[in-house]
Amino acid sequence: MLIPRRVKHRKQHHPNRHGAAKGGTTIAFGDYGIQALEPAYVTNRQIESARIAMTRYMKRGGKVWINIYPDRPLTKKPAETRMGSGKGSPEWWIANVKPGRVMFEISGVAEPVAREAMRLAMHKLPMKCRFVQREGGDI
Amino acid sequence: MSDNTKLVAEKRTDFGKGAARKIRRAGNIPAVMYGHGTEPVHISLPGHDTMMALKQANALLTIVIDGKEQLALAKDVQRDAIKPVIDHVDLVVVRKGEKVTVDVSVHLEGEAAPETVVTLDHNTLQIEALATNIPENVVVSVEGLEAGTQILAGAVELPEGATLVTDAEALVVNVTQAISAEALEAELAEAEAEAGIEREEHDEAAEGEAAEGAEGEAAEGAEAKAEGDEA
Repeated sequence: MLIPRRVKHRKQHHPNRHGAAKGGTTIAFGDYGIQALEPAYVTNRQIESARIAMTRYMKRGGKVWINIYPDRPLTKKPAETRMGSGKGSPEWWIANVKPGRVMFEISGVAEPVAREAMRLAMHKLPMKCRFVQREGGDI
Repeated sequence: MSDNTKLVAEKRTDFGKGAARKIRRAGNIPAVMYGHGTEPVHISLPGHDTMMALKQANALLTIVIDGKEQLALAKDVQRDAIKPVIDHVDLVVVRKGEKVTVDVSVHLEGEAAPETVVTLDHNTLQIEALATNIPENVVVSVEGLEAGTQILAGAVELPEGATLVTDAEALVVNVTQAISAEALEAELAEAEAEAGIEREEHDEAAEGEAAEGAEGEAAEGAEAKAEGDEA
């Protein structure tokens, strides 16, 4: 699973969830991609789960790129704890994804296979997504 | 070969985001045209026609401003991150017979050898070609290529009249050996165990059925073949 090796601050504020993606909104490496349509925090488990779903469906063909990285820690206070007494302990590692971001890309498979593999992967993600593909004018 | 699309543009007199948004609301696209030492001209283009013209990469456009025609190439197209609309277009003035440097997409053709994975490392190649004769794409054949084969930019056959600008040593196509089924299964099982993912029963059942179906078909095929041999 994707986890940062070292971070400057162990506990961070919640990342801003407003606005659209500023970059990474087009396909850069592969032929097909999954584009986010809503903002969400995507955990490293969800990223890994989506990758496994795609790889299992594509079997031994194709290549998968992951364009997001879960570099932000999210904390959680234990259950039945009174407020105060400091911030909770880090619980998840998340990527702050904004609408428009192409999160996964694949290449080396036919379109129907890519479409189905990405449909399976989308079910593992916490936001609405869509399938996108490289077009002639998208350079 | 590039298609020549005629777009009738209007000169813009108001600038800024307010004016640009007004133009977009009216179904047009704000654009700027420059090049060859001329003063930049701020124009608005018809939205739908421009979008259709720019669906083709490196489309050569004929921009008509106040009755005057000018050839131009789209240098930069700003698109909305989510909606399929164009926010702004940068056009660069070109002349007939002039050579321009453009990015042309690489298109793979054919099937590589079995048990291989073909990876396109450079999706585009930068080439120099006549503005009026820009190729739509560059075709690279991977027919029957074995694992370990690499095609460099210098080895790609370019259309007539085009010269390569990208580094000739740049890797374009890489053919690698596909991972074995056992290694893939082991890698995925390890990843699932690390992430604490439990496979759902219907997933395994579906996979089992698919495997049985494949085996069944294979067995039927073998039986039929055996019968045929006996006959």
